[in-house]
Amino acid sequence: MMNHDEAFDLLAPLSLHALDADVMTEMDAHVAACPRCQAELDGFLEVATALGTTVEPLPDGLWTNIASRLNERPRAVVRDAPLLGRSAQSGVIIPILASRPTVSRRMKSVYGGVLTAAAASILALGIGFASANSHVGQLQGALNVANNGAVLSALHAPNHKIVILSSPQLARIAEFVMRPDGRGYLVSSRFPRLASTLTYQLWGIVKGVPVSISVMGNAPSRTTFTMAGSRRPSSLAITIQPAGGSVLPSSNLVASGAV
Amino acid sequence: MDDLTEASDAQLVTLIGRYDEVALAETYRRHGGAVYGLARRVLHSASEAEDVTQEIFLRLWNQPERFDATRGTLRGFLLTQSHARSVDLIRSLNAQRRREENDASRTARAGYDMQHEAWDLMLSEEVKRALAELPFEERQAIELAYFEGHTYVKIAEILNEPEGTVKSRIRNGMRRMRGTLVELGVEGADR
Repeated sequence: MMNHDEAFDLLAPLSLHALDADVMTEMDAHVAACPRCQAELDGFLEVATALGTTVEPLPDGLWTNIASRLNERPRAVVRDAPLLGRSAQSGVIIPILASRPTVSRRMKSVYGGVLTAAAASILALGIGFASANSHVGQLQGALNVANNGAVLSALHAPNHKIVILSSPQLARIAEFVMRPDGRGYLVSSRFPRLASTLTYQLWGIVKGVPVSISVMGNAPSRTTFTMAGSRRPSSLAITIQPAGGSVLPSSNLVASGAV
Repeated sequence: MDDLTEASDAQLVTLIGRYDEVALAETYRRHGGAVYGLARRVLHSASEAEDVTQEIFLRLWNQPERFDATRGTLRGFLLTQSHARSVDLIRSLNAQRRREENDASRTARAGYDMQHEAWDLMLSEEVKRALAELPFEERQAIELAYFEGHTYVKIAEILNEPEGTVKSRIRNGMRRMRGTLVELGVEGADR
């Protein structure tokens, strides 16, 4: 029988399934009864999950195969009587949508000009805002483009603002600097390269309505824009659009941040 | 058809527990690509990865109660199962296949939930970066375990190192990566 210290020592290999089957069985038994090992294992499993995150298009027909087998075997455990859902229907295959609706509820609310809804959606995506000067040195370090004089100048301008865009999964995906006169520049980003048929597009949310600011290309490194006067945005947001950009966003936000 | 695109993963599992095929279809749409992608990466075979994906979703259909929302995300649960099954398979086949380097993981495509795909790509890029920053020995041990499906005992044999050393490298590397992911603000890394 494995003692706690021996088991604790094997949690990282266990999270990678790097144990022989018999040891794995012993470990499973220990972990099930040991909250400390369970918590430690859950932490390692988070890393393993991140390691395993890839993007692969699903093969055609795979869902049809799965759906056609849903009624082959009786359930091992029936927990509740069906309340909200429907019973499994033999022979009925639910179609998989290739993508979410092109305009999400979240963005529809923005189109409707409802400022609060837009603000809520931005909040849901995680807002980062830092007021300026303390970040200047750090941001200068992040600049890796040639001829970045305008960006450096903006970073040193009095009363400039740093806008940090985040997604639900990652903080600080992109950082912009905005001068008081409305000129803005991309300081750094870590967006993955898109296919050439797609582009990142930057939007300003002005009174709850998305206004296109810049078509950033499929691998953004330099972006400049000007939003002056009454068109000052309350937040910035980025979507993925067909190459060339769109008049209105047609997909959910990839990242956003308050100005 | 019910619109479950806004339902949470936990709600979907509850509905699956009530025989709701629409909920399983939505779960597949959200996480099928990740389950399949990981299986394919470990197995280096599209057809075997399809078998694993099919098995994982049928298992979720038949035993949804195995998912415990208090212990992690549905994505994590499905990926853990996909990895475990793939490793089982690769060990039973006792054959390491040639790696198919697939650029698909580096280029987002239209047609599949673009914003989610972009998030997955960003996460994937950050993890690659975190992995690349590990000391070589730690990275090597983790890659041999996770992506090649070896046990730590086998890795010790391959590297001609003591088993305890390999075990420590895996543990230290995983802890270091966890710290990096927390610093980067990757959701769930600080659980």
